[in-house]
Amino acid sequence: MSAIPPQSKKSLIAGIVQEKIYNLLQQGKRLDGRSPVDLRPITITTGIVEKADGSSLVSLGKTKILVGIKTEIGTPYPDRPKEGSFTVNAELLPLASIGFEPGPPDERGVELARVVDRSIRESKAIDLEKLCLIEGEKAYILFIDIYVLDYDGNYYDPSVIAALAALVTAKIPKYEVVGGKVQKTGEYFNLKLQKLPFTTTFGLIRGKFLVDPQLEEEAALDVSIIIGVDQEGNIVSIQKNSPGLIPETILEQLIEIAQEKTNAIRNKFCEALNIVI
Amino acid sequence: MPLYFSEREIVLPGQLLSDNGNRGGEGTYVLGGMVYASRLGFATLRNNKVHVIAFKGAYIPQPGDRVIGIVIDVKPNGFDISLGRHLTATIRIPDKKEVQALNLKIGDVIYANVRESGLRGVYIDHTGRIKKITSGLLVSMHPLKIPRLIGKRGSMINMIKKESGCELIVGRNGLIVIDGPSPANEFAALSAIRMIDREAHSQGLTERIRILIKNILEGEKSVEG
Amino acid sequence: MKDSSMRLVKEDGTRIDGRRLDELRPLSIEIGVLEKSDGSAYVQLGRTKVFAAVFGPKEVHPKHLALPDRAILNCRYHMTSFSVDERKPLGMTRREIELSKVIREALESVVFLEEFPRTSIDVFIEIIEADGGTRTAGLTAASLALAEAGIPMVDLVAAVAVGKIEGQIALDLSDLEDKYGEADMPIAMAPRLNSIVLLQLNGRLTREEFKKALELGKKGIMEIYQKQRDALRRKYSEEALMEV
Repeated sequence: MSAIPPQSKKSLIAGIVQEKIYNLLQQGKRLDGRSPVDLRPITITTGIVEKADGSSLVSLGKTKILVGIKTEIGTPYPDRPKEGSFTVNAELLPLASIGFEPGPPDERGVELARVVDRSIRESKAIDLEKLCLIEGEKAYILFIDIYVLDYDGNYYDPSVIAALAALVTAKIPKYEVVGGKVQKTGEYFNLKLQKLPFTTTFGLIRGKFLVDPQLEEEAALDVSIIIGVDQEGNIVSIQKNSPGLIPETILEQLIEIAQEKTNAIRNKFCEALNIVI
Repeated sequence: MPLYFSEREIVLPGQLLSDNGNRGGEGTYVLGGMVYASRLGFATLRNNKVHVIAFKGAYIPQPGDRVIGIVIDVKPNGFDISLGRHLTATIRIPDKKEVQALNLKIGDVIYANVRESGLRGVYIDHTGRIKKITSGLLVSMHPLKIPRLIGKRGSMINMIKKESGCELIVGRNGLIVIDGPSPANEFAALSAIRMIDREAHSQGLTERIRILIKNILEGEKSVEG
Repeated sequence: MKDSSMRLVKEDGTRIDGRRLDELRPLSIEIGVLEKSDGSAYVQLGRTKVFAAVFGPKEVHPKHLALPDRAILNCRYHMTSFSVDERKPLGMTRREIELSKVIREALESVVFLEEFPRTSIDVFIEIIEADGGTRTAGLTAASLALAEAGIPMVDLVAAVAVGKIEGQIALDLSDLEDKYGEADMPIAMAPRLNSIVLLQLNGRLTREEFKKALELGKKGIMEIYQKQRDALRRKYSEEALMEV
């Protein structure tokens, strides 16, 4: 059963704020001075947790996301004996918002983790076959753990950025197969990502849309949707993540803007991490 | 009776301020006949007492405070009003007809007076002094910085109103409604409020805010022109 | 990892990371790092990295949990999964639950809770990287977050761990020293009151050793206390200077 957990009820918003957000949007403006299609500033820092194999701290405006990656050796899934695997978890830390309660991840945290997981998995960003050591027996398992540290709206887009930043800069302990057994070599290797998928979050208010909603806007939205796109323009993930109606006729336009915005994020990402694609 | 601080010095919890235990004021505590700071803020001497004016902290309602609130629940005998993310106040009206006459619904914004604040909770005065606010930009700032926004005898707030061309309704609880002729005017007033929120304890603020508003509005004109 | 030939204390009295026995690791402090909380701080002590955030005083939900004469202080000490060598499973471990309690009690000792009846003050500590002394670094950060939130307190809390490694009393143990040493004793104080607000011992000490450890801990605590006060003053004097 999926009931609304008490803490995920839409935060109450004053009627005049909702009205103001809509009026501004009609004039192509927003509360923080952005245009409807402007993202907030992005900063990317990597390698901040030495005990993690890869780590990053990404901020999108005032929203801050911390991601760390740990590697373990495990058994490949029976249906994919030649592949390593990865798992994404996400926690909305109570430090981040008065609306986040301490406790095990609720449905919002699980949804965030799964949206990030799908964007990475379906775009085939990670070459999982390279993570297999002994077919059907031993393979690398990557744990990608996301923590929302400061929450001012839209944790989806920066979580994908942070997960990819941690993956791209990760130094994974290298194992080798000796006499049918795996052992640590003491060396490290880099994951070479095959794709860089990013997402764009859209909010709709009475048919008008905006990207990257900030906290107050989020509370005023009728409905929101996240669209993930890889560098070739393929759509790699979609999540309508709130109740409400999305006019079918607007989707085409949202996808076009998602392609544009994810390109902008990708350029910023590559510039920040010195990556050539 | 020596003091151990200079006027407007930044002091920290635990800092010794005076060795005369009778001079402890707001934001201080007395231990062993000495006055210490209990909060982070400016130390100041007023009426021979040592006070610490805290930089940040919760709003504690006082009877008579003008506050801005959001209706969060409608009940047969009154309303629940949010005064910010940490605090809820109550309006209780014995006469059900009066409740209906107020015609408030969830999400409405009101400007009203605190009648009572204490262990029983916070109660809003309902005797004809509730004003419904129907438009404008609702923003928040640290409640402790509201006096700075108002300024001496209203000097700061009046200057912001004049320079930005906006009406401002200020709630003592840290909520403010800005209502102006255009988004640009409202952004100018909002930027002024943000600056006060960040730099309330610095001096020469009034003049810098005047310049800030002017620059924003002129910048807007040159873009449009 | 430590192999059996490795010495925690070298002949010349220095430690694996080159410190003297009475030396703290490099400490850096930032105030007001998380914008959506009422107060926050980041503390880095060597490789140990900690965020702390405070919310409140705020209304208690559900209401019947509220205390009529004072605020409730809630505290959660938590580590990220990647903060430790072996990935920590999600959820609270017994260790995290215990540390949350003793940290809460340390903070309850200095906060004027009676000024805010029927409210709660929530303190959240998140360990980003754990290299020894996480509860004490967390407490150091939490007291700064409380101060920044404007919560009235008797004093800041400064904390450090002392311990015994290869027979010698040492200040501010790293993870390695904690693991292979003989004793670990986290201490937190309200320095102005010269009083202990947290004290635990894991290991064995003679009375003499305990006395020495407490003295050394106090020395470290005074250093940390000074840096805490510097960080708070710096934060607010920088803002006051922005006008020029």
